[in-house]
This record gives sequence, C-alpha cells and structure tokens, in this order.
Amino acid sequence: MSQLGRLVRVARADFSYFFRTKWLMAILLTLSLSDMLVTALVYGKIVSGLDYFHYLVPGIIVVGLFSAATDTGRRVWLALRDGMVQYYMTLPLNTSGLVVANIISGGLGGLVYSGLLLLIASIVITPQGVINAILILPFLFVLSTGIAGLAAFFASVSRRGEIYWVYAQALQVSMVTISTVFYPSSTVSQVLPGPIAIVAKYNPLSLAADVLRSSAFGSSPLDTNALGNLVATSLPLAAVGAIAYWFILRVIRANGKP
Amino acid sequence: MNRVLTLAKFNIGILLSQRTWFVLSWALFGMQLAVYGSLMSKLVSPVNVPDYFFFYAIGLMVIIVFDSGADVGRHFVEHAHEGELPYFLSLPISRRGFLASQAIYGIANTMIKILPPLVIVLYFVGRLTPQGVFFAAIALFLLGLGITGLMVSFSFIAFKSIDIYSAVIAGLSALLVRFSTVFYPLIFLPNFYSPISLLSPLTYGADLTRWILGFDSTKLLDPTVAAVVVTAIAVGTLSLSVRIVDKIIEGVKAS
Repeated sequence: MSQLGRLVRVARADFSYFFRTKWLMAILLTLSLSDMLVTALVYGKIVSGLDYFHYLVPGIIVVGLFSAATDTGRRVWLALRDGMVQYYMTLPLNTSGLVVANIISGGLGGLVYSGLLLLIASIVITPQGVINAILILPFLFVLSTGIAGLAAFFASVSRRGEIYWVYAQALQVSMVTISTVFYPSSTVSQVLPGPIAIVAKYNPLSLAADVLRSSAFGSSPLDTNALGNLVATSLPLAAVGAIAYWFILRVIRANGKP
Repeated sequence: MNRVLTLAKFNIGILLSQRTWFVLSWALFGMQLAVYGSLMSKLVSPVNVPDYFFFYAIGLMVIIVFDSGADVGRHFVEHAHEGELPYFLSLPISRRGFLASQAIYGIANTMIKILPPLVIVLYFVGRLTPQGVFFAAIALFLLGLGITGLMVSFSFIAFKSIDIYSAVIAGLSALLVRFSTVFYPLIFLPNFYSPISLLSPLTYGADLTRWILGFDSTKLLDPTVAAVVVTAIAVGTLSLSVRIVDKIIEGVKAS
C-alpha cells in the first residue's frame, strides 16, 4: 500500500474516533442548540437596530465548527501525555503522513459538525442560497483544518501537566470574542482600537460567519474575495500546527520522549 | 475539627500552587468583559436593559462561581479516579469531615477567583462600597456552596463512567446558564422558557447579587425570594451530597 493509502486509512480511523466520543457530541450539540434556541432568541428581543437572531445563528454554526475542530488538540495532547504517540510511530506511515492524517481528520470532524448545525439552523431560518451553502462547505473544511492545526500546535507545545487546557481556553476566548461572530464589524470598529478591529474583521471565524450570513442565509452571491481571505487565513494556521506537531514527533522519534 | 482544617489546608495549599489558573481566570474575565461586555452593551437597547455592561459583569461573576463549584466536583472525582480516595478515606477523619474539608477548599477556590474581579468591576462602574462587596460576596458564596453540593451529588455518576460524568456536567452547565438570568433578565425569556429558568439556581444567585449592588430592581426577581432560594439550595444540595457520598463512596475503584 502506498503512503497516501496508509495516510487515508489512518485519517479514517482517527476520524471515526470523533463519532465514538458520544459524550463529546452530546456536549457540543447541547451547547450549540441551546445557543441557537435560547440565547439567540432572547438576545434577539433585547438588541435593537439589528435582527440579532438571524445575525447570531450563522455565528453559532462557526463556533460549533471551532469547538469540534479543537478536539484534535485534545487528542494530540492525550496521545503525547499517555504515550499513545509511541504506538502511532510504529505505524507504517512516515511522520509527515501521520501529521497530515491527524489534522485532516480534525478538519473533517469540524466539517461534519458544522454541516449538522447548518441543517438544524435551516429549520429555524430558511436559507436563501442552498447551493451557496453547499459550495461554502469545502471552505468550512479548510477553516476547520486550520483550527485543528492551531489546536495541534498548542497541544504540541504543552510540555507540562494541564497547561494545554490553559492554552485551549485562552485560544477559544480570544478567537471567538475578538471576531464578528457576535457583533457586526461596525460596532467592533466603534468600540475597539483600530488594529484589534482589523484582527476581528480578518479572523477566519468572522470571515466564515459573514459568508454564511450573506450568501447561505442571505440572498447575496458568493463573495469570492471573502472566501479567498478565509483560505488565506486558515491555511497558515494549519501549516503552523502541522510543523509544530511534526517537530515534536521527530523529537520523540529521536529521543524517545518530547 | 483540627483534622478537617488540616485536610482543608492541604487542599488549599495545592490550590494556591496553581497560580496559572487564577491568573488565567482573571485574565479571561477581564478580556470577556472588556471586549464582549463592551460590544454587547452597545447593541443591547438601554430601554430593555439599562447598563447592560454592569448586568453582564455580574453574570460573568456568577459563571466564575459556577465553574469554581464545578471544579470542586471535578477535584473530588479525580481523587476517586486517580486512586487517592481510598487513601483519604483511610485517614482518621469522618466522611462528613472529609466533605467539609472539600467544601472549605471550594469556598477558598471561589473567593480567590471572585473577589479581585468583583472589587475591580465595582470600582470601574463607580459602585464600590464595603457593604456592597461584603453582601455580594456572601450571596456569591452561598450560590457557590449550592453549586458545589450539586456537583458533588452528581459525582456518583463519575464512579460509573468519567465520560458520562463529563457529558452530564457540561450539558447541565450549558442548560443551567442559558436557561437563567445570567446574561438576560427573566422578563425577556419567552413564556415557554420562563418556568425552566426558575429552576436554575443561577437565576436566583445572579438577581440577588445584582439587587445587592443596586441594579434596577424592576428587571429582577423579588430579592427576598432569591435570598431564600439561594440559601435553601446551598443547605439542600450540601445535605444531599453528604447522604449520597455516605452511601456510595464505599467500593469506589480507581480507573
């Protein structure tokens, strides 16, 4: 079997783990559904000058994608902590293949989960561009891969104890809060300093949420510029994560420990 | 009593050695308040919720209290799963004494996490008074005790499966927070959600703390009812946890 074939098999096995952690799926679904059907609904009543329910629901899909994709980080961290990574390295697959397989499976997890949320959201808000929503899915996969890479990066650099959870929480709060997932970019520019407002605007989560709002749930044509920006901001995250994870695996291969 | 305090001191010593978590907790609180709180207070109409920034700040503190209570439950469960529980049970201390030491640990954890943000927020919004800090800390403390009791009561699930325990706690957290007045006043919850939100202890804790700190009382629950419910939940869930742990703690095996 070729390296590519082995890579696909490892990615498939790793991806199947996402469905086996039923408790994780239950948590994610409870969080996302309660955000959609309670938080968005109530905020829709107290926010003025904006149809906040319609604004927030696409954002919740993107936050769900983020949570599902970061599970890759948890799994990499557990593998490094429990020594499972030693077993991974006995597989007939080179280090780069192993890294790519893990990150792709994380990306697929995020895609499946966000696709599921997109379907559920379609029940509460009729999508104006169903074809656009389908066309956006590959871009959501790229975003999910980027987030999975970033989570793998933090898992790789977490050398001691539970520090990974510190990084994971800080990553989630900073990426989700400094974005336009919850508030329009015009409000962000009014309140936050210029450079932070730019970071929020070009945050890949903001780009994905904006595209979903305008082209999947709205009636605008697909914004190719925004999709290009989404790919351009997501791929470097995946690359950074892949390099960090590859490096740590090489160190383990050479020294027997991270 | 001395033995309870010795065990509590040991646990608090471990707690204080984990400074990173406290710094992270305060930093995340500051960031969420400064970014999310400021931005959402621009979007929320002052006619609906006057001073949403302050409303949200108290809600965020309630979340810290909730997380802190959940920490105690997790701590307890980890003791069981890492095989430390049989060792603790072999100490010359009663089961109730052991639980009391866990509760003291929980109180210390909550107060360390909550007092600095509380004082700083009240200072920035111009509502800092010694009485306000004192009574708000008592309200949050009682709420924390209630949550701790609830989480320890649920720990019996973890003795069966740690994954199911994690799922139950995370799912419960999501529902308790969203179906409560932590982030929005009760009057804006749709009618079909209001009865559920009255079942969440966070609703009473959040509204009681806001009332103590001088928030517009027309948007809040009756403070007497809130105070009675928060106290009853603290006493009730702690008693429940004592009974449950007394019955199921035997035969717990490390995973």
